[in-house]
Amino acid sequence: MISIRRVSKFYGDFQVLADCSTEVKKGEVVVICGPSGSGKSTLIKCVNGLEPFQSGEIVVDDVSVGGPKTDLPKLRSRVGMVFQHFELFPHMTIAENLIIAQTRVLGRRPNEAMDKGLKLLERVGLTAHAEKYPGELSGGQQQRVAIARALSMNPICMLFDERTSALDPEMINEVLEVMVKLAQEGMTMMVVTHEMEFARKVARRVVFMDEGRIVEDARTEEFFGAPRSERAQQFLSKILHH
Amino acid sequence: MYDFDWSSIPGALPFLWEGMKISLEITLVAVIVGILWGTLLALMRLSGISPLAYFAAGYVNLFRSIPLVMVLLWFFLIVPQFMQAVLGLAPTADTRLVSAMMGFALFESAYYAEIIRAGIQSVPKGQVAAAYALGMTYGQAMRLVVLPQAFRNMLPLLLTQAIILFQDTSLVYVSALADFFGAAYKVGDRDGRLVELLLFAGAVYFVLCYGASYAVKRLQRRVSA
Ligand SMILES: Nc1ncnc2c1ncn2[C@@H]1O[C@H](COP(=O)(O)OP(=O)(O)OP(=O)(O)O)[C@@H](O)[C@H]1O
Ligand SMILES: [Mg+2]
Repeated sequence: MISIRRVSKFYGDFQVLADCSTEVKKGEVVVICGPSGSGKSTLIKCVNGLEPFQSGEIVVDDVSVGGPKTDLPKLRSRVGMVFQHFELFPHMTIAENLIIAQTRVLGRRPNEAMDKGLKLLERVGLTAHAEKYPGELSGGQQQRVAIARALSMNPICMLFDERTSALDPEMINEVLEVMVKLAQEGMTMMVVTHEMEFARKVARRVVFMDEGRIVEDARTEEFFGAPRSERAQQFLSKILHH
Repeated sequence: MYDFDWSSIPGALPFLWEGMKISLEITLVAVIVGILWGTLLALMRLSGISPLAYFAAGYVNLFRSIPLVMVLLWFFLIVPQFMQAVLGLAPTADTRLVSAMMGFALFESAYYAEIIRAGIQSVPKGQVAAAYALGMTYGQAMRLVVLPQAFRNMLPLLLTQAIILFQDTSLVYVSALADFFGAAYKVGDRDGRLVELLLFAGAVYFVLCYGASYAVKRLQRRVSA
């Protein structure tokens, strides 16, 4: 479903991604982890063409992301994305956030979009908040709305970016519950997270990044059992002891 | 001691009101055209397409570097000839109001463009990324996500600029067009009561503009709350 082949990216002279390759098959969950600044967000933003890259190739559902003839808006409308800072639209209510792209991008009728939005809101446990504005919700609630917004487009896969640490544990649980369920239903997902419990539970593979490189790309059991690289070992022991 | 005599004002009120209507008309047209054209200029300048960006930057810098009164004079001189040539208008037709509106609109666009450009830049980049990630085009991202937030942030500045513009409409006196200030001047001149009329006009400008500024301030507090 998502295939990343030898992708490199530069900001001027600074190399953010160095020769990154990995693959996410249909129905798989792959977790990406690594220290802050290692290029995790950049990598998943390349997958839906939000960040351009200088060499290599990314193919999503048989469409080459960097291809000259690629209809990027169309491709993006099929790839769900949840941002590190959620990026809900602050001038719209939660309901409007869930409807706008359905009507404007997919051309759904307003009441159809509303039904879909409300169903998803129920699914993430926030029905009572439909008429509120994003600023009135907690971080974890906003994140769940962002998940619902991405799902409203009936995506073929999901990209999920999470900040290293910020949400309080209770919030994390509510969000993780939603995501575990998604994974169990067979959603293809690329998930940036440091929640190793989540990785253990649902990830097929774990990708460990450091300084723009994919240092380790292993099956979940292997990764937690015996990470090969020293950097990954250090990283694991650090976050597992928190 | 100067002997004040306010008696010429009551009778002149209808004439002054006609002048006020002209001031308000010019302000309204210039604000609407200025915001529309200013938004386009701001988008051009931020487009990353060099010819458009250079054109917009040149336009803004040009108008911000010339005194308004000169721009107005040019328009009073050019627009009538232009309209005669293109629309076949009689040389005697009074085009001063149209000239004033065009001059103000084009001049104010340069100021609005800068306010709007700052407003667009104040919207976090992640918002555009989120719009794109949902499959929106550039146009949709601007129209549905960026500009509504930008305008909400800028509303107090846009209104403040409109108040300044309203005061500046008095500069149309260079064409002897009877806006509110021009009308007050004419009445005062006719009756030999210039001091009274100008004091009165000043008081009216003060009350209107101060009142409007106060309203904007309250609005600003509500928006930022
Ligand atoms: N627009 C940019 N210009 C220059 N450098 C950038 C830009 N965006 C990101 N970087 C740099 O690229 C590197 C990778 O950033 P990225 O956001 O992908 O890291 P990350 O792994 O997601 O980190 P975190 O865990 O903190 O979210 C960082 O060193 C960052 O400073
Ligand atoms: Mg990141």
